[in-house]
Amino acid sequence: MLSRSAERLYWLGRYVERSENTARLISVYMSLMFDLPMNMEISWHNLLTIFGAQHTFAQLYDAVNEQNVMHFLLTDGNHDGSLFSSLSYARENIRTSRELMPDEAWQQVNEMYLLIRDKTESADNRRGRVVLLNEIMRGCQRFTGFLAGAMSQDDAFRFIKLGRNIERADMTTRILDIGSVLLAEDRSDKLRQYENTLWINVLKSLSALLMYRKHRRLRISSGDVLDYLIKDHDFPRSVVHCINEVKACYRFLPRSNGMADNLNQLSAALVAIDFYQITPQGLHNLLDNIQLRLCETHNQITLTWFLKLSQQ
Amino acid sequence: MYNEQAFINDGLIPGYIIESSTNFLQECKGMQPKHGVWANICGSDLIRDKDGKFYVLEDNLRVPSGVSYMIENRVITKKVFPELLQDLDVLPVDDYPAHLFEMLVSVAPDYVDVPRIAVLTPGIYNSAYFEHTFLAQQIGAELVEGADLVVQDDDCVYMRTINGLERVDVIYRRIDDQFLDPEVFRKDSVLGVKGLLRAWKKGNVALVNAPGSGVADDKVVYAYVPDMIKYYLHEEPILPNVPTYLCSDPQQLDYVLKHLSELVVKPANESGGYGMLVGPHAKPEEIEHFREVIAINPRNYIAQPTIALSTCPTLCGNRLEPRHVDLRPFILQGEHSYVTAGGLTYVAMKKGSLVVNSSQGGGSKDTWVINTGA
Repeated sequence: MLSRSAERLYWLGRYVERSENTARLISVYMSLMFDLPMNMEISWHNLLTIFGAQHTFAQLYDAVNEQNVMHFLLTDGNHDGSLFSSLSYARENIRTSRELMPDEAWQQVNEMYLLIRDKTESADNRRGRVVLLNEIMRGCQRFTGFLAGAMSQDDAFRFIKLGRNIERADMTTRILDIGSVLLAEDRSDKLRQYENTLWINVLKSLSALLMYRKHRRLRISSGDVLDYLIKDHDFPRSVVHCINEVKACYRFLPRSNGMADNLNQLSAALVAIDFYQITPQGLHNLLDNIQLRLCETHNQITLTWFLKLSQQ
Repeated sequence: MYNEQAFINDGLIPGYIIESSTNFLQECKGMQPKHGVWANICGSDLIRDKDGKFYVLEDNLRVPSGVSYMIENRVITKKVFPELLQDLDVLPVDDYPAHLFEMLVSVAPDYVDVPRIAVLTPGIYNSAYFEHTFLAQQIGAELVEGADLVVQDDDCVYMRTINGLERVDVIYRRIDDQFLDPEVFRKDSVLGVKGLLRAWKKGNVALVNAPGSGVADDKVVYAYVPDMIKYYLHEEPILPNVPTYLCSDPQQLDYVLKHLSELVVKPANESGGYGMLVGPHAKPEEIEHFREVIAINPRNYIAQPTIALSTCPTLCGNRLEPRHVDLRPFILQGEHSYVTAGGLTYVAMKKGSLVVNSSQGGGSKDTWVINTGA
């Protein structure tokens, strides 16, 4: 397969995953905000933190309120991390890779792009937003479904899978970072009162609530949620599962000797951690460390398989 | 033209016409592409005049486009009129990609068993990019851009893949000659591949269509095609040319300049309907402008009588109106030759317009050849 194609498919995988994650996180966050009382530590600004976009936001908007944050994260073409931008990039990448996958996959991505492009206003009111986000989540799943059902599980498929799992692990760590607020010693009484709701929503934003209930069969606690979302081998959005998916792709891809080392070291480090004893700062550092490792893996993938700039 | 030039030496065409064509490439002299074929893919535009006879309007031998629309149009018609198609025994057009594939395989260098084929595209901003993707998909070829290919010191072409460099044997190129190889042609081309012509001349890669084949696309050379058919094949042409006045000939030039308001004037080496004058529809200042540009470079212009292109009922808004059409069948030639049973009908969407090119706002129509059993 062409290096150029591999690169496009990898980014396609990342952007479709990012779109789905963004849509789900925002949709869960909205419903959470309706449940929480006013004036709590958790507010719209946390959403910006999760996306690591506080600075970009401050450059484009004045006030951190629902209207601005939603516009920024969903439909703002000036923000590279908005849902609209993600879908535009996904579309550019698949448009130039159409010969590599079933046509329905292209049509699906194109439809989602057109939907958000033409329905910008509907994202401004809550009701329209819910409908739009649902459509996007379902669209991303249909995309994944088309590939699972009609695409050879070949190298092309593996590059999409690489992108998807690196993006997915990254998002899981970003969402868990909210745990550093929830675990803080000095958190308000009001927050302690809603803790349970918040951890439930963390699970929901990763589509993990049902599976967590089924597999842990315990009341919801911070240690269990962290342990489940980072270390569980079977849950598709847990960090360890994503790592194993990436390693599984390596086994079949050419020139991948030694590439798994970085991730093996990460897995070993994760296994050693006791999430029932972790401090907020410890958690934050750990999540940072995971993100750095993922970044390293991304760089290795780029160097090994993609078109080098110097060649162009 | 690039070898014995018998047609010139026997006095059937003045040598300067060939040598001065902007599509004639000195670099190609002496080359002998496989099966003796330069233009493996050709789209000839046919029209029907008021006498009901078909004429060849022009030959497109560089990188003719539109074949994907021919196939997609049929897909749509099948959905909309399933009964009609079944009852009428319409000949299929969707076998084109299979024939294209066969042709490309047949021109691969002799020592290759299973050739690797690539479609070379200028990239996503080209108006025919959809077609490049479509064809690559249909024939299972790699769709590559210039930066994906590299010519090594062994004069072979390789593409950059996740496995490292892999050899390419046949390139269906969809970029113009001038952009193919910055080593030989335009130095500023970022679309092409350095050394590509070198690899081709060594016989290490097949280029389709061969560089330089556009010389037969020159509208002045076109006027000589019926003579070429007689000369080389000892046959009469089945379809006549549209009568053509060559501005390079003083007598014909004189006639053209006197009758500009009745004629269609075309530059010899443009495509896509650019730079044309349709005399009967032109404003006086446009006619004066053409009078000047023809005088400056008469070799570069031809003129033809304004033909009343046939019309076809066309849905305009919510009613049917007549619109002018022309028909482009596609011809493949490698080891064997093949002509599509049908083709792409271009339709001028503007009322009364005779310019059907899609780059000038033209549309297209599915076109049926019906098997009558005769």
